[in-house]
Amino acid sequence: MGRDGSLAIMNIEITNLRRRYGGNEAVAGVDLHTDAGVFGLLGPNGAGKTTLLRMMATAMPPTSGTMRLLGEDPGQYRPRMLIRRRLGYLPQALGYYPGFTVREFVEYFALLKEMPARQIPSAVAAAIERVDLGGKSRARLRTLSGGMLRRAGIAQAIVNNPELLLLDEPTAGLDPEQRVAFRALLRDLGRNATVVVSTHLVEDVGAACAQVALMDAGKIVFHGSPAELTARGEGAGAAGDAPLERGYSAVLKGARS
Amino acid sequence: MSVAVPEARKPAARLRSDRRPGASAGRLLRLELRHNAMMWLLPVVAVLFWLTTYRKTMAMAPMWNLRAASLQSGAVIDFITPVVGAAAWMGTREARRRTTDLVATVARPPWSRLLVTWAATTCWALAGYLGCLAVVYGVTARQASWGGPLWWPVAVAACALVAFSALGFAAGVLIPGRFTAPVVGIASFFVLALSTELIIGATSYWYVSPVVTGPWDAGPDAGVATFYPYLPDLSIAQLMFLSGLTLAVLGALALGRASGAGRVRIAAASVAVAGLLAAGTAVRLAGTSRLDPHGMIAIPALHDAANDRPILYTPVCRETAIPICLNPAYARYLPAVATALRPVIDEVAGLPGAPGRIIEVGATYQQGSGNSVAISLTQPPRGSGQASVMRILLPDQLGGPTLTTSQLAAQAASSTAPEILARVVGNGSGVTPAQQAVWTGLLFAAGQKAVVGGPTPERVIGPPGIVSPGSGSPGRGSRAAGSPGPGSPAAGSPAAGYQELLAPKGSQAFAVALRFRALPAAVRYRWLMTHLPALRAGQITLAQIP
Repeated sequence: MGRDGSLAIMNIEITNLRRRYGGNEAVAGVDLHTDAGVFGLLGPNGAGKTTLLRMMATAMPPTSGTMRLLGEDPGQYRPRMLIRRRLGYLPQALGYYPGFTVREFVEYFALLKEMPARQIPSAVAAAIERVDLGGKSRARLRTLSGGMLRRAGIAQAIVNNPELLLLDEPTAGLDPEQRVAFRALLRDLGRNATVVVSTHLVEDVGAACAQVALMDAGKIVFHGSPAELTARGEGAGAAGDAPLERGYSAVLKGARS
Repeated sequence: MSVAVPEARKPAARLRSDRRPGASAGRLLRLELRHNAMMWLLPVVAVLFWLTTYRKTMAMAPMWNLRAASLQSGAVIDFITPVVGAAAWMGTREARRRTTDLVATVARPPWSRLLVTWAATTCWALAGYLGCLAVVYGVTARQASWGGPLWWPVAVAACALVAFSALGFAAGVLIPGRFTAPVVGIASFFVLALSTELIIGATSYWYVSPVVTGPWDAGPDAGVATFYPYLPDLSIAQLMFLSGLTLAVLGALALGRASGAGRVRIAAASVAVAGLLAAGTAVRLAGTSRLDPHGMIAIPALHDAANDRPILYTPVCRETAIPICLNPAYARYLPAVATALRPVIDEVAGLPGAPGRIIEVGATYQQGSGNSVAISLTQPPRGSGQASVMRILLPDQLGGPTLTTSQLAAQAASSTAPEILARVVGNGSGVTPAQQAVWTGLLFAAGQKAVVGGPTPERVIGPPGIVSPGSGSPGRGSRAAGSPGPGSPAAGSPAAGYQELLAPKGSQAFAVALRFRALPAAVRYRWLMTHLPALRAGQITLAQIP
């Protein structure tokens, strides 16, 4: 059952998804089904995490496979627009307009997400507060530090209270205090939405994610809870300082052997 | 970062019903207006406009026709590079700022998002243009003595800015590089400037260029649209072309960014095709243009015959010994022209053959070879009974550079005095030396000394570009004075057209002319009153002239 009592529709339903760039297959047959909650996407560089996230964000179409997001087929125009209204996305390399203030930047994306005009001012203010940038809302983006810019990017992603939130390396550039606060925010967002977090930082996954997938060479080589991933590393003699890191290393080692 | 309970999510259907596209578009436009490159270029445009167009336009006579035409071509040239450059810069913004991934995932369609950015650029460009327009028309409204503002040229320039903005923006979107803006901005200037080089004669497809306001290369002509209504034919074709171009560019841009929306793709394609058809039709119409007898470009398919009727007006007159009447648009010149003509009028007023009234009339224009235009007096209808009325053109009805009031009055006198005197002395075939002596003496007495240099004046003192008879065929870009016979000041020199009446320097007639000039005015007048019929009949010898 879904959270409103209707028949369960998973927010992300991906089957055998593939994406090719010329001769290189960045995503090589991914299956993923997940509903509300924070979902961690781990993997080494070049594993295909960003490509998978971009396909889920409807920024690029898959080469093959099927994908349903929020119960809609993003391959068709109208459903894709419906998905986008309920979607939040933070790309790995956040582009921004330096002359915009934080408020204008978030408002701009609220408008592009076609939020109801009356709700925009309060939604913008709330999003900025949630990322702790209330004191900088009138500051131009060019004057912000890297961490603040990242938070502004998160604010634009969450301004429409998305049902599907895709965050690519959201904690890059955040200081430890901000990361702790951000994890709390993730947990909060995950109560009502499906939050997919792509990251290198396994401690973020451990602290905030209920489910985690580990990608390597375009495939998901592990899908389970952080505790299960930790268990994979126990006694395996894998490299890593933390239990989760050892699980990560052990799974990768196993997948490559 | 704080944790807050998110507000209850609304069902998608309710979200949709809550959505007001107009309000969102308005907010988006406001945001874009605040961060648009064109806004920062407005001071540059203002300086450019002041340097190249405003000063030139304000130096012209305060006549709506002159200033409207100057404003159209000047503003288009001044604005094109900044507008195209700014629009292209805004078009490249998403690629330059690497927000393409981010904006690719939003619900608002790309064409709609880009349209708002383009609209903001265009709004600033139009705001700048309207500011320039307000200044020029505001000053002209205070200075002009007659008539009202012309809006067709205003509309053409405004539409041109919109079209250039669309072109620049499309270039920026399609070629998103840092150098796109400066390259297309500068290139557009040269394309626009060079397009007019291809105009030869009154029939050319290139008349759709928005910098063209009339027969190309003719320069500002105060006589156009003063005696006859402004012909909107060319403006209509230009507006059709520019609107079509805008629609075609925006339609093509939307078509490329419709991303699978069937209805949007069909609408965009329809708009693009309609725009292309409109632009193509306008070019074809421009290809049928011809020079109207009243100095404007007429397009037969767009021509309204009602515009061929002269404008009714009450002339402004100075009651000198021979009254001088001008078109009310020239009212500010009347005192100076009357003063300049007074010496010659005093010499001949009341004499047989002297005109009873001098009136300014419209010119008749005829296309010559290349870009030359023959300008001549509009002749009165046969049997109109206006033999005693002398019809004149003022120098600035002939095009050419802008004249000050004193320059215009001096040229009017130097071109009108020979004709007045010729009417008195006689100018038929077989001019006698006595007639030459009297005509030349009176001309000198009237203060017209420009002909002293010799019997065949080689100096053209009229506006550059006006070619006197015998000086060769008019080159490209010049205006040939058509048949500068009696009454036509076109050749610019006092003696042009009256060589047969000019006493050759060193001749006996010339000596007599100098002697006749030295007489007291009353003596000259009395002698003329007595002997003029005999002089005109060729019965007076040089020896009989005092």
